[in-house]
Amino acid sequence: MKKFILTAISVTVIAISISSCSKGKQTLHVYNWADYMNPAVITKFEQKYNCTVVMNYFDSNEALYAKLKAGASGYDILFPSGYMAKIMYEQKMIKEIDHSKLKNLKNLDQPFIKKALDPELKYSVPYMVTYCGIAYNKKKVKNFKPSWSMYDRKDIAGRMTLLNDLREVIGAALKFNGYKYNTVNNAELEKAKDTVIRWKKNIAKFDVDEAKRGLSSGEFFLIQVYNGDAIQLIQENEDITFVLPEEGTSISQDDFVIPESAKNTELAYRFIDFLLEPENAKDNMEFVYYLSPNLAAQKLMSKEFMSDPAINPPEDVLKKCDYLMDLGADNIKYSELWDKIKSAK
Amino acid sequence: MKKSRFPLYITIAILVFFYLPIIIVFAQSFNASRFGGEWKGFTFHWYYKLFSDRNIWHALTNTLIIALSSTFVSLVLGTIAAFALYKYKTKLQIGHNILIYFPLVIPDILMGISLLLFFVSLKVGLGLFTIFLAHVTFSMSYVAMVVLGRFQDFDYSIMEAALDLGATWRTAVRKIMIPYLMPGIAAGGLLAFTLSLDDFVITFFVSGPDSTTLPLYIYSMMRHGSPSVINALSVLMVAFTFIIVFISKKLLEAKE
Repeated sequence: MKKFILTAISVTVIAISISSCSKGKQTLHVYNWADYMNPAVITKFEQKYNCTVVMNYFDSNEALYAKLKAGASGYDILFPSGYMAKIMYEQKMIKEIDHSKLKNLKNLDQPFIKKALDPELKYSVPYMVTYCGIAYNKKKVKNFKPSWSMYDRKDIAGRMTLLNDLREVIGAALKFNGYKYNTVNNAELEKAKDTVIRWKKNIAKFDVDEAKRGLSSGEFFLIQVYNGDAIQLIQENEDITFVLPEEGTSISQDDFVIPESAKNTELAYRFIDFLLEPENAKDNMEFVYYLSPNLAAQKLMSKEFMSDPAINPPEDVLKKCDYLMDLGADNIKYSELWDKIKSAK
Repeated sequence: MKKSRFPLYITIAILVFFYLPIIIVFAQSFNASRFGGEWKGFTFHWYYKLFSDRNIWHALTNTLIIALSSTFVSLVLGTIAAFALYKYKTKLQIGHNILIYFPLVIPDILMGISLLLFFVSLKVGLGLFTIFLAHVTFSMSYVAMVVLGRFQDFDYSIMEAALDLGATWRTAVRKIMIPYLMPGIAAGGLLAFTLSLDDFVITFFVSGPDSTTLPLYIYSMMRHGSPSVINALSVLMVAFTFIIVFISKKLLEAKE
């Protein structure tokens, strides 16, 4: 018996050392969120280029950053959110994108990209777009108006929540007053602060997770939430809808980037280009249920998908939306306002 | 005098505290609702999804390989360390004792990032092997502590008696010391196995390409995935553990 255990365990130890050896085929190491890409698309890529795609997973942008910053290597493509891609680029952790290697870049929605954090696509290629908006229960909220002014409604006071995120909440108030999300103008910020303090009297709390559960179970009627979360809530409870307020809101996106330490850059480019092909971008959109700023692929999507305001907001609202930018030294202005808001009675 | 019922209530409360979550996970794994906010009907859908997801199985294989191998190695090293701590009371052993204690009190995140920096500076490729080393590092301490506890009651003169009567060192260890320490070794092994099975923070930092373990995968599913699949997997793992425990108990009874 003991001998058996010994052999079994030495076999596993040997298996570890063998499995780390590489095989003849080329391998692409992708660092991604779980369930964020259609497995069928990956299989197709493997067959087309006779290679192996190995998926690895991280759970937050910050963890990804900490790990790579400490020197972890071996990944060929990463999927950070836009703001994190920018930080990584500024710290020279990711490569510049060679546009000549990506013939499918032309499929992307140029006017849309021009608004993003990396308008020239110098270091990133967009994958999916997300928004912050309002999800509400159709049965409980009468005379709904797609506007941040809902937070002034007394009849549903105490049944609403805002995110616990200073940029998103102050940003919503800025938009409500007709300003930009990334403003550093003191007078504008002051006005936004007064608006949030007024809203604070009508909301139950600043929160995300409890709010989602509360909306699903009927405790809350209206919450500020990201569209990805809202889509999951809608699948659960058909009384829930998601809208982008007509005054505008924030957009963010997840990007493909190639880290400096990538070993197989050629294959990484091929993979990005492959994902930009209309057919594959379509399959991914259908799988993750987000919008990809890929015009050629959007043409292939069903009408139902493209007309869903939680996925593809109308043009005139989109015009009023801003990407959240890192404000550097001015970030302190927002945190000071947030302190005042939190302590206001 | 009437016996106090207080201990009974405490026992019930603790049992509920331990087992209710498992029962809820069991029920939720058959719930058609994705968030489990309310009951949406009975389904095998999550089990179906679980069996068709190659990523989960790959992650599970990695997890089991690491858990088994790191448990075995930390059992050997931990037991030997405990013996040294028990037998020799030199200055060196005080230092040894502190070293063994260290991984128990050091925060996971610190250990994870320092191991990562260490591996990177040594240019060791990150992967299953580095996870294995990291897990041995912390499991070993737990094993050593548990086995050391067992050693406290061990009367070393029995060993000496055996040696005086002509037993070789090897026979004495095998016939006297190991059987005596077995409960401690078994407990240490179980502890090391479970610690390795669900470690997230340290594993995240020292994992490399193609070494995703189950906890890493589950955390990453928070953003886009469906936790219900994990409920189904948990049920299977709990069932599997129960079967193993049941069989080993039967085997032990048969021996006696």
